[in-house]
Amino acid sequence: MELESARLFAKAIVMTIAMAGSAVAEGYLIGKAFEAMGRNPEIADSLFTKMIIGVAMAESTAIYAFVAFFLL
Amino acid sequence: MNFLQIERGISGIQPDVVFRIMGFPISNTTLLLSFIALVIFLFSYFKIRKFVWNPSKTQAIFEMIYEGIFGLVNQITGSRKLTETILPLIGTLMVFIGLSNLIGLIVPGLTSITYDGLSIFRTPTSDFNTTLGLAVACIAITHVASIKDWGLLGHLGKFFQVKEIYLGFKQSPGAGAMAIVGFLIGLLDVIGEFAKIIALSLRLFGNMYAGEVLMVIIFGGLAYALPALWMVMSLLSAVVQTVVFSSLITAYYALSVKPSGEVVSG
Repeated sequence: MELESARLFAKAIVMTIAMAGSAVAEGYLIGKAFEAMGRNPEIADSLFTKMIIGVAMAESTAIYAFVAFFLL
Repeated sequence: MNFLQIERGISGIQPDVVFRIMGFPISNTTLLLSFIALVIFLFSYFKIRKFVWNPSKTQAIFEMIYEGIFGLVNQITGSRKLTETILPLIGTLMVFIGLSNLIGLIVPGLTSITYDGLSIFRTPTSDFNTTLGLAVACIAITHVASIKDWGLLGHLGKFFQVKEIYLGFKQSPGAGAMAIVGFLIGLLDVIGEFAKIIALSLRLFGNMYAGEVLMVIIFGGLAYALPALWMVMSLLSAVVQTVVFSSLITAYYALSVKPSGEVVSG
């Protein structure tokens, strides 16, 4: 296999797996946040702010993969 | 490209050098960063020092921002004394990084000012040098604070927990085995410090750089109405990334100093 086609394969596999993992993790996190908001609607605003911070943290591994995509 | 699309090259990961001062290269991100620092300094020197007891409208807005930052830091540290100690650092970080992230979106056409074919302004945090410098400096500050509070031996004792092995074996062989596991985990904490630096810098850099690249791609696709959607996403991600960076630095700082004995309600 030549270097160029191997590079394209690597780019595709890296991005796909990273995006899939990150999407599953964020969906789980947001679902749990909504569940907690349903059980205690008074602090829903505070929970939403913290959920946004948590989503940004969970997104970070997908961002590493994005940077690796441009480096490859 | 017809008149529905705008074509522009994707900016590389390394920023372009605009000019040199005595052999020292100044890139377009450094230029904008210096301007932002200068603007913040001039604004605070000439306007904020003149704030009075009865606020005008602009003063009220700045007081709202201040209270927002104070509330965020207070929630994370849980101790009012620690909040008042680190609020200058965290407030400066938030204003600086927030303004750097947002300046490409708020001031229209800033990145299109070109000289000799290169754009002379570029979002400062879309350059890995900026974010790496910020992350290294902030983690160094947490280490210095830890050394000030615990002393040099105490600070090193957090990573190389040999004293716990001695105390554990004095208690019982079971506790001694747990202490050896603790020692190995303490060694892993050293790698954790580097992981913190890399994670902080890469998260901020990746978000901003990816935003830039996608903006160029979307403009190449359809230059009317569609980029507005991505600009809104960019606004949201700029604000979220500043909050995440600052709250992580606050959390690391709060973990590295001695815990204060305050009781917090709410």
